[in-house]
Amino acid sequence: MTSYDTAVIGGGLLGCATAWHLARAGNRVLLVEKDQVNRHASGQNAGSLHFQLEFRMVEHGDDAARAAARALPLHLDAMRAWATVEDELGERCGVSRTGGLMLAETPAEIAVLDRKAALEREYGLDVAVLSGPELRRFAPYLADTVLAAGHVPGEGKANPRLVTPALARAAGRYGAVLRTGCRVTGLHRRGRHWELRTGTGPGDTAGETHLADTVVLAGGVWTAELAAMADVRLPVFPVGLTMSATARSRPFLPHLIQHVGRRLSMKQTEDGNVLIGGGWPAKLVSRAGQVDLETNPELRYESLVGNADAARVVPAVFDLPVIRTWTGMTTLTPDHLPLLGAVPRRPGLFVATGGSAFTLGLTYARLLARMVVTGETDRSIEDYSPSRFGALNFV
Amino acid sequence: MSAPDVVVVGAGPAGLAAAATLGRHGAAVTVVDEQEQPGGQIYRQPPAGFTPPAGSSPAGRALLAEATAAPGVRWLADTTVWGVLGTRAGLDGYAGDQPPPGRYRVATHGPVGVRLLEPRAVLLTAGAYDLPVPFPGWTLPGVLTAGGVQTFVKAQGLLPGGRFVLAGGHPLLLVVAAQLVRAGARVVEVALIQRRRDLLPGPAGLAAAAGAGGKIAEGVDALRVLRRAGVPVRFGTVVRRAAGDPDLTTVTLAEVGPTGLPVSGTDRDVPCDVLALGYGFVPSVELARQAGCAVTWDSPAGGWVVRHDEWLRTSVPQIAVAGELTGVAGAEQAEVEGRLAALGVLRDLGLLDEHRAVTLARPVRRELRRRRRFVTQVLDRFAPDRAALGSLVTDDTVLCRCEEVRAGDVRRALRANPHLGTANAVKLVTRAGMGLCQGRSCQPGLCQLISTLTGRGPEQVGAFTAQAPVKPVPLRALAVGDEPPAAD
Repeated sequence: MTSYDTAVIGGGLLGCATAWHLARAGNRVLLVEKDQVNRHASGQNAGSLHFQLEFRMVEHGDDAARAAARALPLHLDAMRAWATVEDELGERCGVSRTGGLMLAETPAEIAVLDRKAALEREYGLDVAVLSGPELRRFAPYLADTVLAAGHVPGEGKANPRLVTPALARAAGRYGAVLRTGCRVTGLHRRGRHWELRTGTGPGDTAGETHLADTVVLAGGVWTAELAAMADVRLPVFPVGLTMSATARSRPFLPHLIQHVGRRLSMKQTEDGNVLIGGGWPAKLVSRAGQVDLETNPELRYESLVGNADAARVVPAVFDLPVIRTWTGMTTLTPDHLPLLGAVPRRPGLFVATGGSAFTLGLTYARLLARMVVTGETDRSIEDYSPSRFGALNFV
Repeated sequence: MSAPDVVVVGAGPAGLAAAATLGRHGAAVTVVDEQEQPGGQIYRQPPAGFTPPAGSSPAGRALLAEATAAPGVRWLADTTVWGVLGTRAGLDGYAGDQPPPGRYRVATHGPVGVRLLEPRAVLLTAGAYDLPVPFPGWTLPGVLTAGGVQTFVKAQGLLPGGRFVLAGGHPLLLVVAAQLVRAGARVVEVALIQRRRDLLPGPAGLAAAAGAGGKIAEGVDALRVLRRAGVPVRFGTVVRRAAGDPDLTTVTLAEVGPTGLPVSGTDRDVPCDVLALGYGFVPSVELARQAGCAVTWDSPAGGWVVRHDEWLRTSVPQIAVAGELTGVAGAEQAEVEGRLAALGVLRDLGLLDEHRAVTLARPVRRELRRRRRFVTQVLDRFAPDRAALGSLVTDDTVLCRCEEVRAGDVRRALRANPHLGTANAVKLVTRAGMGLCQGRSCQPGLCQLISTLTGRGPEQVGAFTAQAPVKPVPLRALAVGDEPPAAD
């Protein structure tokens, strides 16, 4: 049995970044990942760094938007985190912060855009609504149907293929122990420690036991399952999403494109492929009537069509072939706010998921690591605390 | 037209035989094929108005005639199937129109754009493609596959060069070389990696050969043509390098030792302007995998093959396979499997009762057993030694030609990320397999390299996730536009 200061469960962006921060602070860290590093949502999302409120947060009216806006302080923090991460890691991860646009094509959408911008400015986000010749000059690639766009200068993209592996390597350099192909099968409080049992696959006979003072749940859609091992109910829900990639083409799309009235996120990678996503659902696969998290969601034809159709706001994309689609799962919370912080009544158990988890991953990781090491954070994270769902847990 | 009972994907020997059998027993069949005319690669027909070259296969002609005369068969030519959707049990039948219960969505792209077919059953007969074997210079203009050269000669009557070297490890090389000689080409050498002593058949081989007179005659005939033309056929010889700038001018051939590796000091430079490679074939399982059909690793049979039962049904209900997808075995076996799989589909759809299906299948199964005995012998003898072929790769060798990823890039990525070791993980880190060919040309070589570098077996390394569209589709064709792409 090996003892660690902290066990991090999950080898995605969040887990690897948390392990990196902790190991750098001198913690003895174990990171366990049931598949390969970056295998799930962190490597499957399209790498948007969006700091504006997303379509899903404004589509249900002003009250819902106002509630979702409570995550904006984290987005501002994330903007700074992404600006420096490449320097800190000493390698390129495809971070590009050339700005993002949220498009509007009708007067009603412009009205939403204006209200959204006003709300975002309350939190200090630098957002401008561009229209007319100013917008055409800034983004000549847009279709004529686009009437206005909310512009945030620091938005952009990171390369999801590169970020998480770079963080994993960095964690390893500071001594974190990475175990892949290693599934958590049990999580129990034993005296002042957490006992973590792991297995290696079907049957999990060749299991191991590890001790850790603190445990960080960084399991994405598996968060509820992991928390349940510690007899904690967390209301997080999987959603299947669809992304498409076109063949490579010359660079013509320097900005992150979203739409205020429809599901769309679009960007051109540094390799030249255009990635299209933005919340088009994929079919969660079931087994015995229950969601099967171990199987990738199935592509829905309607989502691929919707995905392709949404791209018409940038006509040049229409001439490219789709060479790949993929599906993945991400985690939703009931109020679209992040779930971030210490789990009540389980000393030493921490969690983060939900929200815009790729964009916010570095920020979640930094705050969690600080909490683990010092017991406090440099900003209030009460709004995101798991304690808001404390009523679900009686013991 | 009403929705078909069965969609057959591919119009090669397996697809033709399946369509004929299905149509004859009253099924409404739609055959979808990427070529302009049915026949597949092996019974490829020349374009309309073109005189067929000498030596077209009579077996192919009879099968084509049978299939095209069958009732109830609709042909969608020049059309790609890029996905089979709705095969997995799932939770959101609530979003948008769904196909009626018991039907899948077969997504196609062809001259009329994107169309959906909603059959009750799908029969996949997508065939195989040439096994790509990377080595220094294999991406030079002038380096072709034996199958590709054959297509030039068969379909177009064209010779794609002046001086040919054929190299690899598959008997097809001899057949193609003879076809080239007959078409007037200058064949400088045929180099087979197998050593002559390893090819001599044992008693079991001779017994099995008794059932495959046609195949053996074809090989003997090819050898005779080559001998008469003075073309050297060298065994135990491998191509290590192709060179030239910008086009191919020289290949380097070397002798193969008992371990399967080239013997140093035996290099010979041979001038040529076409190198035709034939190391065998890879089953086109990407659509089957996309649909969720389970696959198993079977190296002599071509790599990943689709798992199936005695009626050639896959792990996904109402999806069957026939031909090379069950393991590369050639046109004759594919045709027999096409008939058997069709009988299984008819039985499952209730178009044949159990007794009749079993009775009709009996002679087909007997024929299949006879074919398989011979094919197993051939496969064992000509199976590619993947580890030995993998040793031809140098750090400079391009593995993924679409994204220009070299073997050295993969080696460095694995050294930097020692916790990675699957095809998907390496693809994500290096971009190998992310290009227009969707990994078809780099996957076997890349997986072999990962295997060599990490010591993990092919099952552990796995394959790239197969996602729709399994072939590129123009974005414009997918978008809604003015009229929605209706199911028909």
